[in-house]
Amino acid sequence: MRLEDEIEVPVSLSMDPYAGSWGTDQAAHLLRRTLFGPTFQQIQDSVALGMNNAVDQLLTLIPTPPPLTYSPDEAVAPFGQTWVTSVHAADPLPTEGARRGSLGAWMMERLNKREYSIQEKMCLFWQNHFAATDTFDSRATYNYHELIRTHALGNFKQFIKDMSNDPCMLLFLSGASNNQFSPNENFARELLELYTIGKGPQIGPGDYTTYKEYDILEASKIMTGWTVAGFLSQVETNTSAVFNPILHDPTTKTLSEHFDFAVIAANGQDEYADLIDVIFLQNEVANFICKKIYRWFVNYDITQVEEDTIIPVMASTFVANNYEILPVLIQLFKSEHFYDVSLRGTIIKNPLEHIFSILNSTVSTPAYNFDENYDLYLFAYNGAAVLGMNYATPPSVGGWTAYYQAPAYSRLWANSSFIKLRFDISDLLSVAGGINVNGNTWGVNHIDFLDGLSNPSSAVDVIDDMVTVFCPKGLDAFKKLTLKGILTNGLPDFEWTIQYNEYLADPTNPAAVDPVKLRVALTLSQLFKMPEFQAL
Amino acid sequence: MKRRSFVRNVSLASAGVPFVFNNMQFEAIGKKLFTVPKAFEDRVLVIIRLNGGNDGLNTVVPIDQYANLTIQRSNIILPETSLLPIGGNNGLHPVMTGMAEMYNNGNLSIIQNVGYPDQNRSHFRSMDIWTTGSLEPTETKGWLGSNFSVDHPDYPDGYPNIDFPDPFAISMGYEVSATCQGLLANFSHTVVNPFDAANLPNSAVTNDGTYYGDHMEYLSGIIAQTNQYGSQISNAANVGNSLSSLYDPNNPLAEQLRNVALMISGGLQTKVYILNVNGYDTHDNQVLETDTTQGVHADLMKRVSDALNAFQDDMIQLGLEKRVLGMTFSEFGRQIASNASIGTDHGDAAPLFLFGDCLNQSIYGPNPEIPSIPINQVGLPMQIDFRDIYASILRFWFGVDETTVNSLFEHTVTYHNIIGGCELSVDELSRIENTSFVYPNPAEMQTTLKIDGDGGMVLIEIVDLKGSCVKFIYEGTLAKVTHHIPIELHGLEKGIYRIIIRKESKSESIQLLKV
Repeated sequence: MRLEDEIEVPVSLSMDPYAGSWGTDQAAHLLRRTLFGPTFQQIQDSVALGMNNAVDQLLTLIPTPPPLTYSPDEAVAPFGQTWVTSVHAADPLPTEGARRGSLGAWMMERLNKREYSIQEKMCLFWQNHFAATDTFDSRATYNYHELIRTHALGNFKQFIKDMSNDPCMLLFLSGASNNQFSPNENFARELLELYTIGKGPQIGPGDYTTYKEYDILEASKIMTGWTVAGFLSQVETNTSAVFNPILHDPTTKTLSEHFDFAVIAANGQDEYADLIDVIFLQNEVANFICKKIYRWFVNYDITQVEEDTIIPVMASTFVANNYEILPVLIQLFKSEHFYDVSLRGTIIKNPLEHIFSILNSTVSTPAYNFDENYDLYLFAYNGAAVLGMNYATPPSVGGWTAYYQAPAYSRLWANSSFIKLRFDISDLLSVAGGINVNGNTWGVNHIDFLDGLSNPSSAVDVIDDMVTVFCPKGLDAFKKLTLKGILTNGLPDFEWTIQYNEYLADPTNPAAVDPVKLRVALTLSQLFKMPEFQAL
Repeated sequence: MKRRSFVRNVSLASAGVPFVFNNMQFEAIGKKLFTVPKAFEDRVLVIIRLNGGNDGLNTVVPIDQYANLTIQRSNIILPETSLLPIGGNNGLHPVMTGMAEMYNNGNLSIIQNVGYPDQNRSHFRSMDIWTTGSLEPTETKGWLGSNFSVDHPDYPDGYPNIDFPDPFAISMGYEVSATCQGLLANFSHTVVNPFDAANLPNSAVTNDGTYYGDHMEYLSGIIAQTNQYGSQISNAANVGNSLSSLYDPNNPLAEQLRNVALMISGGLQTKVYILNVNGYDTHDNQVLETDTTQGVHADLMKRVSDALNAFQDDMIQLGLEKRVLGMTFSEFGRQIASNASIGTDHGDAAPLFLFGDCLNQSIYGPNPEIPSIPINQVGLPMQIDFRDIYASILRFWFGVDETTVNSLFEHTVTYHNIIGGCELSVDELSRIENTSFVYPNPAEMQTTLKIDGDGGMVLIEIVDLKGSCVKFIYEGTLAKVTHHIPIELHGLEKGIYRIIIRKESKSESIQLLKV
């Protein structure tokens, strides 16, 4: 392994607009980082759009219909209708189980839509940031994820305010049991440590540079009084946050010197917002969040060089725009630094990126009734969980370790156990018939993938296009030859052309289709097990 | 990889930071201090993790507190007559016949009320504390990984190799164990089926010098390592043996332990095996309402007890019983009072089991005191720090020297003499250890002598090769703690010297190179 000081640093440390050439390499890099597995067509379209248009289009939100009732265990909402605003059942257990399944399947369905939008990547980013686990009332869990989606590119300050009294969050970090008679520090601590300003070095007893233990105590008092109504209610159609003045600490609170001794006057149900306004007066909030954005989209390793050059530019954009997230991302994805070739392939795919780079890039969507599709999506959800990423249940309030645990970071996704499982899953999807639930299958869409490439009848071009889609920094000539040998079954290239043309002439005849499909399957299964596929 | 190089570079330039000190220690005296006596080399530790927080009070019941326990947990308490009496004042859960037998044969110790100060009742945080062996939230290394890292700081670079062909640790199942997280990589290799060689396609890569290149090298390496370890493991499993008839094929823990027996008897040089039992988070329906000796918790404890007894029986039949020590742990115990859902909520301290043939067998620590009036949300107070159990295992079972063990823990370690009946005693250990050393060495202008005082007189001086004293350092008593004595080297010619330490009991001589 290379030593830190031997690793090639980015040539460009400029956040100025990128003005270099705009081709397949650049477009594919942008899409790998912002989508869950771009298709060959999406890469070509992005090249044609040019950088500015591509980034602007990617940075838009897409309307998303809510999850649907798919299981007979749901006792309230009708089959095929959404349950997110239905009352709960008298016996909540089966209904809640059905709703959880629906929610997980719906999350995967969203990832599988292949919309030309950063939305799903941002939603997972924020889920990693807030890391609330699912509550036992999926209506609250759904609302929490909707809150994330609607604010994904919005105003971060407002986002934090809305998150502070989100029912799912109130339950997750004990806000709902935080009252003036027995204050609970749980949420206040994470608000400072993980959600906004971040914890600096400890410089004194209970003093973390950016805040003190004392600030946590005061903040927890400010946050008192919120409870959750409607939990598992058979009357209320949703959960909601309720402010109960009797439970709220009515005193005046004062923060430490880290917040310029700010005084938060008693302000009842609006007091939490006053606290958040005060926290956001500190520029460290922008630094902290921009580092997380950088680590998610650019590189896990933030050296002093990036701390001094890149992060301050991002942070000042964040502050100058009153904590709007969108301008920060626009600047980043149009910057010279982002397209620096030394920053390609710096991230090992997380389990969802692994699974959906296989399925989405091969334009694969399950094509059964929606409830049968849900079963397949749920399998994918559980597959990602086995690989270490359970979307609705991050391992801790700190999110997934791969995004904070030095020095391994994203390598944690590919330890000795997971690498084997990753290969098992990629084999299942590419050569072993796909996910199979009750005879319905979902795996790589070999034929549509092949047909969508630039010149499917040429073995050389097929391999080149596969590398474009799946390998962030290409593949050496020897490995490309190996893959081509698998595609052509060791025969001269023209034999592949003949075989492909036979399929084109008779595209519904299994005798013509299956051999082509098998060659693509075997080639992809080999490619998916190469180190070069594991990064993005 | 990177962090390591940082440590290495800094250590050459400066001193005084704790991790630099540890590293110096390694650099300065290298193998001598860390070479363990032969008898330790083939010792194995088997760890059983009871995941979710085991209800200690329904596992090891303090019989002298039974009346008060009835007040606290009437809906789940085990009938007094059903308990399996051990040690006079305690009773095991009636399903734990296997472990009761182990106790009666001298193969089981119980350490009561194990925990840590300021209990955290979060599963995640508390498990982090137990796996890292540290209360410091930023600590990421596991307690075993930290120990492995002392001698193998570059792991996984260059592993496996001819000296270390086998995994340092094996985690049975799909996840590496956080106990084995090292500086750069996790030392535990996961095994589901030991007969399965991994057979992943090896893939050579070129490191292009970027972050990507380093990832490629890592991935290529982990694939190769998974294959190499996989083949070592399957070879061992194939030649290994298992002789006990007590393993229940329907007990997954027993089956995993049988696989561990195969790997150990097959000659695998792995030091640590970690197994996991889920399901201990018994907030509700912990027992059957109609019969408190049955239910979820009873099933779990029966599974563990039967499996451990079979494994111990196997070790004895295979003649491996002197080589294997076992330990259970759980992230916390549960509250003294049960809840209304026939369960128990997260609590604090709980008993921990040690098993094997090399125990100073005992029930360590007094029975917990159970209040006579109903109390809510109260757990058992901690009496024995779990980190001291870890430290005692490292020192007395694995023969790691005291200085290193102390440096692995943030608190002042209290050793418990839990190991016994096998060749090496605490006295032998202290004779083996060369307790004094200098760092840095070679040194330029100054160095430091690390010396353990024994309360008596000591004379320390530097002599040249002819034996003439060139510098007097200290004469007087040294208190019974570890001292770090700075030594100025100004005015000494470059060359080889000896630091002579004369104590009433013995003398030591340490070579010092002035550069």
